[in-house]
Formats: sequence, C-alpha cells, structure tokens
Amino acid sequence: MAKTGLDKKKMGMKAKENIYQSILWVILLLLAATMVLPFLYVVVVSFTDATVYSAGSFYLWPRKWSVEAYKLILSGAGFLNSLKTTVFITAIGTPMSVIMNACVAYMLSKPIPGKRFFNKYVTFTMLFGAGMMPAFMNIRNLGLIDNYFAMILPGTCGAWNIMVMRSFFQSLPYELEESAKMDGCGQVRSFAVIVLPLSKAMLATMTLFSFVGYWNTYFSSVMYMTSSAKSTLQVYLQKVVLSSNISELVDLSNELANTVPQEVMRMAAVVVVVFPVLIIYPFLQKYFASGMLVGAVKG
Amino acid sequence: MSKKAVYKPAKKQLRKRLYEYRWVYVLGIPGLTMMFLFHYLPMKGLLMAFQDYNPHLGILGSPWVGFKHFQTLFHDAKFYAMLRNTLVISGLSLLTFPAPIILALVLNEVRNSGFKKLIQTAVYLPHFLSWTIVVSLTFFLLSTEQGLVNKIAMAMGKEPTAYLFSTSAIYPIIILQGMWKEIGWGSIVYLAAISGVDQSLYEAAKMDGASRFQCMMKITLPSIMPTVVVMLIMRMGSIISVGFEQVFLMNNAMVKRQLEVFEVYIYNNGIASGSTQYSYTTAIGMFKSVVNTTMVIFANWLTNRKGYEGIM
Repeated sequence: MAKTGLDKKKMGMKAKENIYQSILWVILLLLAATMVLPFLYVVVVSFTDATVYSAGSFYLWPRKWSVEAYKLILSGAGFLNSLKTTVFITAIGTPMSVIMNACVAYMLSKPIPGKRFFNKYVTFTMLFGAGMMPAFMNIRNLGLIDNYFAMILPGTCGAWNIMVMRSFFQSLPYELEESAKMDGCGQVRSFAVIVLPLSKAMLATMTLFSFVGYWNTYFSSVMYMTSSAKSTLQVYLQKVVLSSNISELVDLSNELANTVPQEVMRMAAVVVVVFPVLIIYPFLQKYFASGMLVGAVKG
Repeated sequence: MSKKAVYKPAKKQLRKRLYEYRWVYVLGIPGLTMMFLFHYLPMKGLLMAFQDYNPHLGILGSPWVGFKHFQTLFHDAKFYAMLRNTLVISGLSLLTFPAPIILALVLNEVRNSGFKKLIQTAVYLPHFLSWTIVVSLTFFLLSTEQGLVNKIAMAMGKEPTAYLFSTSAIYPIIILQGMWKEIGWGSIVYLAAISGVDQSLYEAAKMDGASRFQCMMKITLPSIMPTVVVMLIMRMGSIISVGFEQVFLMNNAMVKRQLEVFEVYIYNNGIASGSTQYSYTTAIGMFKSVVNTTMVIFANWLTNRKGYEGIM
C-alpha cells in the first residue's frame, strides 16, 4: 500500500485536473456553439409554419413544421437557373482543376530540364497579380463575357494547390517508379497507374477543396455574367437575402407567397445553398487532422 | 529485394533528357497554358495605367500619358481614404492573430479525444462557407427588423439598434466575422506544430511537478514560437489586402465611407456597368499589387533571415 499522504496528493491533483478540464470544455463548447447555433436558428425558422410565425418573436424549436418556404424557393425560376449555373461550373471545373493541377505538380516533381524556370513560373503567380481591372479586360478580350467558362477557367490552376501536390509526389518512394520504368512502363503510364492511386487521399482533399471553391463562386459571376439568368447560386442568395428584391426571384403570383413571411423564405434559401457544403464537409474533415496539407506547403 | 536501388541522376545530354521527359511536359501543358491565359496575359492590361485608355482604340491605339494617373492618385483624397480604410481593417484584424494560437493550445490540453474531434468539426466548418452565407447569417443576427439580437432587445422592451448601418459598429463586425470564419482553420497549422513538440520535455517537467498549465506556457508555447513568427510575418506581408468579397457584401449606403477599399472602388468605377475610369482604376490596382508584392518579398526575406523556412 502506498503512503496515504501521497494518495491524498494524487487525489488533489486529480481534482485539479478535473477542474482544469471542465474549464477547457466550457470554453470550447461556447466557441463551438457560436458556429452551430446560427445554423440551428436558420434551419428552425425556415421550417416554421407561417401560421405560428410572427415577426417579433423567436424560437429554438418550431411549434408547427412546414416546408412551404422551401416549396416557394425551389419553384422560383431564379433558383432553378442559378442552380443550373452553379452545378454546371462545379461539375466541369472540379475535375478539370484537379487533373490539371496534378499534372503540373507531377511535371514539377520530376528532374526535368527547365525545372527551375517552371517552378518560378508557377510561384510567381502567388507573388504578383495584375489586379481586377486587367483581369476583367483579359476576360473581355478572350470573348468570355457572359460565358460560363469565365467562372471556370481562371480558377483551374492555383500555385498553392500545385505546390502541395508537388511536395506530396516528391515524398513518394522513388523506387516504385524506377522499377516500373525497368519493366518498360512509360512516364505517363507510371503517373496514371502508380502515382495517382497512391495519392487518393490527397486527390480527394483537392477535389473537395475545388468543389467548395466552385460552389461558392460569387464575385466572378458578378463581374463576368451580364445576363442574370446565368448568375450563380451565391448571387441568387445575395439577392434574396441582402437586397430586398425577393419578388423577382420567387413567383409571388403563387398564393403561398402571400402567406409565407419573407424572412422565412430567406432562411430557407440559405439552407438550400449551404446544404451541399454541409453534406461534403464530413468527408473533407477527416483529412485535416493528418497535417498532410500543412506539412506540404513548405519545401 | 536483394539490391538496393540507388538513384543516380545520370548526366545525360540535354536533348536526350528532353526526349526522355517529353510526355511529362505534355502533361503539364494544359495547366501551364491556363496559368498563362489567366495570370500572365492580364499583365498586358497594366499598360492601361499609363494611358488614357479608350475601349474603341484598344491598348495599341490609346494615347500614352506616362505617370499621369499615378500623380492624380497621390493627390487624391479618396485614395488616402481607401488606404486608411484598408490599413484600419487589416490592422484591427491583426488583433485576432493570437485567437487561433490560443484555440490550438486549448484544444491540445483536452484529454478526451472524442470531444476534441467534435469541437474541431464545428470550428473548421465556417472556413468552407461562402461570404454570402456568412454575411446572410450576420444579417439574420444583426439586422434591425429581422435580426435575432434586436428581437431579443425588443422583447425586453428596448429600442432596436441598426448595427449594420452603424459607422462605429461596422469595423468590429467585419473583424469578428473574419475571426469566426477562420479561427478553426487557422489553428490547424499550430496544432501540427504542437504535435511535433518533443514529448520527453513534458515528462521531465512532470517529474519536477509542473502543472499542465505550466507545461503549456513554458514548453508548448515556446516550442511553437517559430511557427508563430512565420505566420505573423506572412500576415504582415498581406497587410494591404482585405477580404474583398466580405467588404463588398457588407457595404451599404450608411457605411460606404468606412468600407471603401481599393477593389470596391475599382469595381464601382471601372467594371460596373456605365463606369469609364479604366486607366485610373488600373493604376490603383497596380499600386496595390506592387505594394503587396514588395511586402511579401520583404516578409519572406525576413523569415529566411530569422532562420526559418519561408514560402519561396
């Protein structure tokens, strides 16, 4: 048996540790609450029935559920058009950007002649940008105004993504590719059948980053899309929530529109636009902790 | 298995090596072309800053005016107002720089890994939300008639406050939004640094009877200091940039003067329909780009000089 004095000291330490842990828990729970509660509030109000909703009050649980606001939002022409745009640019842009970045990264990871030049060529884009006005003129000169590709192409290749992937490819054991080469496997084939399958986690992360990037497209739509039917979901959301022209976007001749308060419609719009990101997020999340991305930035 | 592969880059002739890697170059072409088209080609447009650009005459036909627009710029009170706004927003958001460090330290102290994961899931999320979403949530929270805060105030019999139109509240709102969105994401880099700290240090400290809090202050924090310094220097490098989409979306007639930053002016006077100040806005943008680049190079130089690894 240990001495009782030591036991007491141990118990004291344990109590101290428990207090310490509870303080940490409270701090972190409060912080997490600021991230979660706004969504909860928005979701709850968006599902609240118009008959029990009154503008002056608030609740954390609807007394009567209803999906009328969603019916209105989803049936409006404004929503469907911008959904089409966003889905299009995301579906085309995401694979395009991941494949192009991976290819450039692979090229930079090889001891090719001119490697220094190509490295500089890529990193310089992080260092200096021409600015908004020249970028706009450039899109105009290329004839891409009001073209979906004005929102897709400029974002395809990013220096940061390329550098992260390059470091990852360089960290793969050299012997794998070397032995494939011995067996007569060409560079492109070894990239496709050896390197890419080993990089699945990395590629998944990049895909999801890219997906979120395209889904959240806002300003290039404001700048380059002249016809409002071609603007993105984010622009639609901005119009519905922040400027007060809800009537353009929701079919107000629908009799429901007179009963559902605009505030409820607004919140339903937020829920609809944020939904895909919330679905994708859990898949994305498991890669953050690995530190894979952080470690790769340098070098 | 028996032989170890030894990598010896043979000094072959350039032509031979070019030939060997020919398909690797082909792989890179699409991406490098995109970079050329959308990063390098626009730089041609910087010439507009030295012209009185006229869209009908084009860059080749417009009259050259030298540094006229830059001279106007440095005598324009509006320019100084924009510079001031940028530096105020940037400087104030620098106050939130320690937030992710503190979060990382606190997260690291948590014993229960399930709870830790749960909190991480919540705090990383806002990074992936668009500014439109974040500004919408702010609207639901703070707007005069529909905002939750004002609803609660009115329920308690107080007058509602127009936070989003208040010139004194707008900067704190902008800063808090930025912190809310990026605190979790920003903590990742510090958590990675903390995981690299030598565990034997903690054991030694425990032997000497150090408390967990003391360990945090005396071991963890000093150990991640190099990362903190690098992040701070990098942050300083982007002092002339503010989150433009955020500021653009938060703009309204009442706080226009507080939130007029370079890009907002460029958009409103160069790109939005009916605007014609092509050359002047290009000059403003160029000023910003040049200052930005100088700062980043300087920051990187400083990082390297301090013995840390910079970005280049």
